Amino acid sequence: MDQNIKKQIDAIITNIDRLPPLPEVAGKVINMVNDPDVSFKQVAQEISKNQAMTANILKLCNSAFFSKGKEITSIDRAIVTLGLKEVKDIVFLVAAKPLMVKPVIGYDLAQGDLWTQGLAVATMSRDIAISKKKKELADVVFTGGIIHNVGKVVIALFVQQAFRDILALVQAQNIAFHQAEKEIMGYNHQEIGEKILEKWNFPQVLRSIVRYYQEPGNAPAEHSLAVSIVHIANAICLMGGIGIGSDGLFHEIRDEAIKKVALSQQELEGLFSRVPEILKQIRDIQ
Amino acid sequence: MSEIITVGVAQIRCSTSPAVLRTILGSCVGICIYDRVKKIGGMAHVLLPTSQKTNPNPEKYADTAIPLLVKELLRQGAKKENLSAKITGGASMFKFGANVLLGQIGDRNIEQTRTELEKLGIAILVEEVGGNMGRVIDFYLEDGRMKVKAGGQEKIYYKV
Repeated sequence: MDQNIKKQIDAIITNIDRLPPLPEVAGKVINMVNDPDVSFKQVAQEISKNQAMTANILKLCNSAFFSKGKEITSIDRAIVTLGLKEVKDIVFLVAAKPLMVKPVIGYDLAQGDLWTQGLAVATMSRDIAISKKKKELADVVFTGGIIHNVGKVVIALFVQQAFRDILALVQAQNIAFHQAEKEIMGYNHQEIGEKILEKWNFPQVLRSIVRYYQEPGNAPAEHSLAVSIVHIANAICLMGGIGIGSDGLFHEIRDEAIKKVALSQQELEGLFSRVPEILKQIRDIQ
Repeated sequence: MSEIITVGVAQIRCSTSPAVLRTILGSCVGICIYDRVKKIGGMAHVLLPTSQKTNPNPEKYADTAIPLLVKELLRQGAKKENLSAKITGGASMFKFGANVLLGQIGDRNIEQTRTELEKLGIAILVEEVGGNMGRVIDFYLEDGRMKVKAGGQEKIYYKV
């Protein structure tokens, strides 16, 4: 293990100020929609306070991806027309984009690559949830899909330094890339991601997605299905070349996740086959 | 700088010297075909080996995309006897469960690509396929060379 790198990462994750921030409204809204005592008026007020974001939120509400046909000109109308959960997803998209759209050098991801991959994984995850009649999970796996590899943003600089050692260990010990990340740097990007979501005060299920999307078998039982869905969507999008970086396909598709989501061979191939259509679908929210 | 044309998943693009065709591959296979005399070339980026009745996009499948690519090159003035191919991509997931046939899709794509090119009588001069790396491909139509960037390293194949 590279003690020097580990110490530097220690210093980042123990100092909350050094972890990337998110506009406060996103964390608030994500928790408000889960609170039965909060009215939709309160949510609308909270969002509308942030004028800079409101314009971008309305733009997304009227995108082909989210629009229900009627033009939306206020947050109130957006919640009535699209629903609270959909608006929450949109708020989160607008809040997270500046962080996720940047190039991620250590993983060899160009400007926009991580963001596109997040959108594709989110969309595919949502499709899986809906096709498996788990509509209540649709918005959770959508948000989780967007943010699942946020830890890469922080750890990338160190991956760049340690890349040769990580890849050598992957090949020597036949372990997945994230396992070698941990062996060499003391942490993998999922652990960093979990710290970031803690800072943002995000709900537990989203923390589980970020922490366990590469090892769904270790997720808490109550989040296992959501984690498994994002695990599968991530693997399929990478195989389709979306957001594939220096870590390549040195990852896994776990049997237990396939079983948990109950996907047949045919359904899996069908999801892979839909990659071009998903890319087309997300084009106007990129 | 030459014009860079991005070839998306399940797309075919053709052009002439000095354009560069670029794509990014995981388990998909990229087929680069070049007419060394006319300096016309094209790339297909195929997702799956064989077409299904339910999906009408011929650019998605090796068995329909490759004949389509050749047809388009000939239409643009290439001569069949000048054509040669380089193929790349078809990586596999590092580990996949025993019940995940999708894990082998890269190998199946490579196999079908070879079959289709053989049927058309187009020689494969370079195969840079398989493994677990993602690949960024640049296909230079000025001389038909193919640059493959994988895991932080670049290789250039000049044979045409």
